[in-house]
Amino acid sequence: MTLSLVLQALFAGVTNGIVYALVGMGLSAIFKGSRVINAMQGEFAVIGAMTTVLLLTKTGWPYAAAIAGGAVAGALVGAFIEVAFVRYMAKKNASEDSFLLLTIGLALTLSASVLFFIGRDGHLLPPLGGEGVLIILDAVIQFHALWLIAIGIGATLALRAFYHRTTIGLSMMAASIDADGAATTGINVARMRTFTFVLGGLLGALGGILVTPLIGVDYQLGLNLTLKGFAAAVLGGLTNPLGAAVGGLTLGLVESLAIIGISSSYKDVVAFSVLIIIMILMPQGILGRAGRRGG
Amino acid sequence: MSVSSFIAKLAGATALVGLSALAVQAQTSGEPVKIGAIVSVTGAGAGLGVPERNGLLLAEKDINAKGGIKGRPIKFIVEDDASNPDTALSKANDLIFGQKVQALLGPSLTASTVAVGGVTHANKIPQIAFTGIGPAVERERKCVAHVLPPQRLNAMALLEYAKSIKAAKVGVLHDAGYGNVVMAELKPLADKYGVKLVAVEKFEIGATDTTTQAAKVKAAQPDAVFIIATSATPFRNVKQIQIAQPVIAAIGSSSYEYVNAMGPAADNIVIPEFVVGEDPLPHQKDFVELYKKTYNATPKNYEAAAWDAAHIIAAALNKAGADATGEKLCDAMKAPYSGVLANYNFSADDMTGIPISSFVFSKLVGGKYTRTPFRVAQ
Repeated sequence: MTLSLVLQALFAGVTNGIVYALVGMGLSAIFKGSRVINAMQGEFAVIGAMTTVLLLTKTGWPYAAAIAGGAVAGALVGAFIEVAFVRYMAKKNASEDSFLLLTIGLALTLSASVLFFIGRDGHLLPPLGGEGVLIILDAVIQFHALWLIAIGIGATLALRAFYHRTTIGLSMMAASIDADGAATTGINVARMRTFTFVLGGLLGALGGILVTPLIGVDYQLGLNLTLKGFAAAVLGGLTNPLGAAVGGLTLGLVESLAIIGISSSYKDVVAFSVLIIIMILMPQGILGRAGRRGG
Repeated sequence: MSVSSFIAKLAGATALVGLSALAVQAQTSGEPVKIGAIVSVTGAGAGLGVPERNGLLLAEKDINAKGGIKGRPIKFIVEDDASNPDTALSKANDLIFGQKVQALLGPSLTASTVAVGGVTHANKIPQIAFTGIGPAVERERKCVAHVLPPQRLNAMALLEYAKSIKAAKVGVLHDAGYGNVVMAELKPLADKYGVKLVAVEKFEIGATDTTTQAAKVKAAQPDAVFIIATSATPFRNVKQIQIAQPVIAAIGSSSYEYVNAMGPAADNIVIPEFVVGEDPLPHQKDFVELYKKTYNATPKNYEAAAWDAAHIIAAALNKAGADATGEKLCDAMKAPYSGVLANYNFSADDMTGIPISSFVFSKLVGGKYTRTPFRVAQ
């Protein structure tokens, strides 16, 4: 095992880890704000990426505008799902498993709709920073992957600032921790839940748009991302979006180091065994209780 | 005179003027000869089933335009198995016992073929599957023929090309499904070709990133890289980490769907396959032209495989009689046949008889397929 191979594995691990983190953060933001486990978080990524692809190729928008359009599409679908389904079901006191069933159903429906309306083909987006690469000790990383890592870290910090420093972020936290208490201080709890879904949709779409230049987007991408994002979120402590960022990075690194350390045949066995051990030793997630208070 | 017979006569007249081959609207009349077909139009196998259905329907038109089966029209009853062996089995039962078809074409996937073969074999219904021969039990089913090569032949084609470019050390990237099956055949063969497998790296089906596996292959410093997968991901990763060695890909990633998804990575990749629609072999030209005209798209291997299967069954019926089925039709089917995809001989042990000389080696250059002059001698 050479140094360059280790470095290559670290590059891949961090890049994948940030993608898992963005999906996981959206998932745990929604769980934190609404107690809904969102099994269609990966579909937000597909919606964001596909919208950007369509805006870019069909309407000829500039890339930056198309990216903004894709992110807004994710946010709008998030809002729509809360207003059209979750709000109504919450009024009827739907249980957590009903919500899970709802989001699984939506995931399958959205995936099938993409297949029907857009087709089976995979699509790529132009990489940020062009096709250029950075080479360190023979290990290669795309400029785009560096952008993805930088934007991912930026989004994580912005999310933390949003929850801690803005009135709306604090209100969303209050509404999720104690809905009745928040309502008595004049916080519109239902609206905060809508914002939660907007935030989840936005984060998911951002992840999808960022990852598409590297891996492409097709109708099947959503479920794969949801599974990895869910593992990331649980690993970090499901109610803490920042934990999901730590969880995503851990998962990405363990996966790629397992390949070079042991064997690619046992990648998932190793990666998920490590996750199980972490969950046994730290059932509250990597950030533990301390992390839960913040986030 | 009814409108349809008027049109038929008119078409007949056009044929006399010799306008086009398809316009030879020979008269077919009487009870249609019913042949069942099962393909995966939906689900995971849709990338195979949709082109196969197109090939079948085009063949139906072609066969009927050329006189059908002894003057009677041929009718393919096409069913979708949704990529599910259970569904394939129930569709097969319905086609055989309900619709009373004389033979069965398909299915698209190996698992479904094995399931359906249980019924066709037991009831002596001739079957031509759009798969390569799979598990050992299929060797005993002497009337379940296959129009695609067995995985052993695909493995041999990869090794032949590696040998031709004098690649002694080869790294392999393969997925855990299709890749595993080909790999099992490839491993014991490599020695015979003087090829050493210096790195064999696996990734799960649907993996979104295989960079680390590709880096391990790169670190082993191979002369060439084999990619055996049904996705574009490993091809992109190999180029992303700047593996400059030639890439040789198994036929599983030869479709337009995957090649388009490779983007700029679809360059300097060689694929042992059969039909390069951009530059067909002389005996493939008519089929490619007809397909392009009908569907406004370029055909590849699965379209041609279904087209061949349809024509083989039609030729066998024309020989054995329009009502033939069972062993009589099966025997007629076993005559050697030169198809668009390959030359077949269903009396061979592997129930396909495709020689390695039928392979065509395409090369992707800037996202476009070109045909290399390389062929393997018989």
